[in-house]
Amino acid sequence: MIQFTQFRDLLAYCQQEPCSVGEAALRYEESLGDRSREEILAGARGLLEQMRSTIESGLFCEDKSLSGLSGGFSKKVMDFQNSPQAFMSPLEHRMIAYALATLEENSRMRKIVACPTAGGSGVVPGVLVALWQEKDLPMERLEKALLAAGLVGEIVSHRMYLSGAAAGCQAEVGVATGMAAAAIVEAVGGTPEQTLNATAIALKNTIGLVCDPVAGLVEVPCVKRNGIAGIHASAAATMALADIVSFVPLDEVVDAMVQVGQMMSPKLKESAEGGLAKTDTAVAFTEQLRQKQQNPPCRD
Amino acid sequence: MSSHGSLFDIMGPIMIGPSSSHTAGAVRLGLLARNVANVPIRQVTFTLYNSFAKTYQGHGTDRGLLAGILGIGVDDESIRDVFERVKETPLEYSFIPNEAPNHYPPNTVRFDMILENGNPLLVIGHSIGGGKVYISKINEYNVHLRGEYPTLVMFYQDQPGMIWKVTQIIAEYNINIASLNCTRKEKGNEAFMAICLDSLLPKPAVEAIRNIPCVYSVCNVDKIPS
Repeated sequence: MIQFTQFRDLLAYCQQEPCSVGEAALRYEESLGDRSREEILAGARGLLEQMRSTIESGLFCEDKSLSGLSGGFSKKVMDFQNSPQAFMSPLEHRMIAYALATLEENSRMRKIVACPTAGGSGVVPGVLVALWQEKDLPMERLEKALLAAGLVGEIVSHRMYLSGAAAGCQAEVGVATGMAAAAIVEAVGGTPEQTLNATAIALKNTIGLVCDPVAGLVEVPCVKRNGIAGIHASAAATMALADIVSFVPLDEVVDAMVQVGQMMSPKLKESAEGGLAKTDTAVAFTEQLRQKQQNPPCRD
Repeated sequence: MSSHGSLFDIMGPIMIGPSSSHTAGAVRLGLLARNVANVPIRQVTFTLYNSFAKTYQGHGTDRGLLAGILGIGVDDESIRDVFERVKETPLEYSFIPNEAPNHYPPNTVRFDMILENGNPLLVIGHSIGGGKVYISKINEYNVHLRGEYPTLVMFYQDQPGMIWKVTQIIAEYNINIASLNCTRKEKGNEAFMAICLDSLLPKPAVEAIRNIPCVYSVCNVDKIPS
C-alpha cells in the first residue's frame, strides 16, 4: 500500500516517480484495493457530475432556505456579469456563483457533495465546474484534479478532525480552500511542488478562521464565505504557478492549524456562542427563529 | 482522526444538507443505532450534547437522527420531510438538548431506545466530521464501532479459548475476518470482542455464538453505507 503520512512523503513520491499529485492520489486510492484505476476515475467523474447537477439546480433558483437567511445570491452574481460595472472575468464570476449555488442548495436541504464537509462544499465544485466549462480541459485532468484535492484533505485529516466543532472553520472552508488550490494547479498542469505550495499559501490565509454561524445555521457567514473561497484558492494557485514558494512548508502550516484549533475557544467552534453569532442582529434573528420554530406556520 | 482512508470519504458523501457532521453524521449515527438494535424500534429518546445540543434544529440534526432510525439514507431528499414521514410509523420519539458540562466529544448523541420486544437499548455515538461517526457505548459496555464493516460485537467472561470458539463458527459459514479486536477489564473478568467481517453473519451463526457458555451479550451490527 502507498502511504502518505505527511505532505513531504507525497512530494518525495511525486518527484521520484515522477508524477503529478493527482496521479499519486489515483495510485494511493488504487493501493487501498477496493477499486480499480478505471473505477476510481469513474467515481471522480460521478462526483463532478453531482457537483455540476447541484450547481445547475441551484444557480437560478430564488427559493429561500427554511430560515430565510439565504437564497437567490448565485442568480444575482450571474446577472451582474452583464453589468457595465462588472470587472472580473466570466470564469471568476462562475467560481463565485457556483460556490454560492452549492451552499444555497445545501441550506435548502437538497443534495450536495460534502467536500470535505457540507459547510465547505461549494469551494472545490465552484472552481472545478467553472474550469470545466470555461477552459477546454480534458475530462481525465479534471478527475485527477478532484482526486488531488481529495488527497490534500486526506493528509490533513490525519492530524485534525475536519469539523467546525473540532477546530473552527479553518477545518472546513479553510481545508476546502487548500484542496481547491491544489485542484486548480493540477487542472492546469502545474508541478507537484507548485500544487503543494498553492495549498500551503491558501491555508496560511485561512488559519484561525472561526466557526460562528448565526443561529447555528450553515448560512451566515458560510454561504458567502464559500463564494469568496474559490477566488482565494485561485490567487494562491496563481502565486504558486508563478513559482512563489511558501516560506513555511505545508506540513508545518498544517501543524500550525492544528495548534490554533486547539487554542481556539469552544465558543467559536460551531456552538453559536461567540463572534458573528452573538452580534445584536444575530441574537435578534435567533430569537425570532426560535419563536417561529415553536409555532411553525402551516406549509404545503 | 482518520489515517489512510479512501479519498471518497473526504470527497463525499453525496448528502442532503446542510451539515456533514450535524446532518449526514446524524443520519449515519441513526442508521448505526438502528443496526445495533437489529429489531424494530418502538421508542427513542435522543439526548444531545455540546455542539449538537446548541445547534441541532438549525443543522437538521433532529431530522437526520430520526431519518437514520427510520432507515433513510444520507442522500435521500425525504430527510427534509421526515417529521411528516414519521407520523406514518408507530415510532415514538423525543429530543432532549443537554447543555450541562460533560466529558463527551463535541457532537454527541445518546439514544435511549425501547425495542419492539420491550427490551431497552442504550447507544452513545459521536459525529467527528465529514459524515464520519463512531459509537462508544452499547448499554453498559464501552465499544468503538464505526459502521464501516459488518461487525460482531460480543461481551463475555474472559477465559481461554473464546476467540477459537467464535472464529470456528465464523469459519464454518465461510466468512472472512477483516479485523479482530478484544480487550478485557481485568484477567478473568468481563471481556469485549469486536470482529469486523467481509459480510454480515447469518442468524444461525449469531445464535450459535450466543449459545457459547459464558457469553453475556452479542450484537450483530451491519455496516452503514459510506
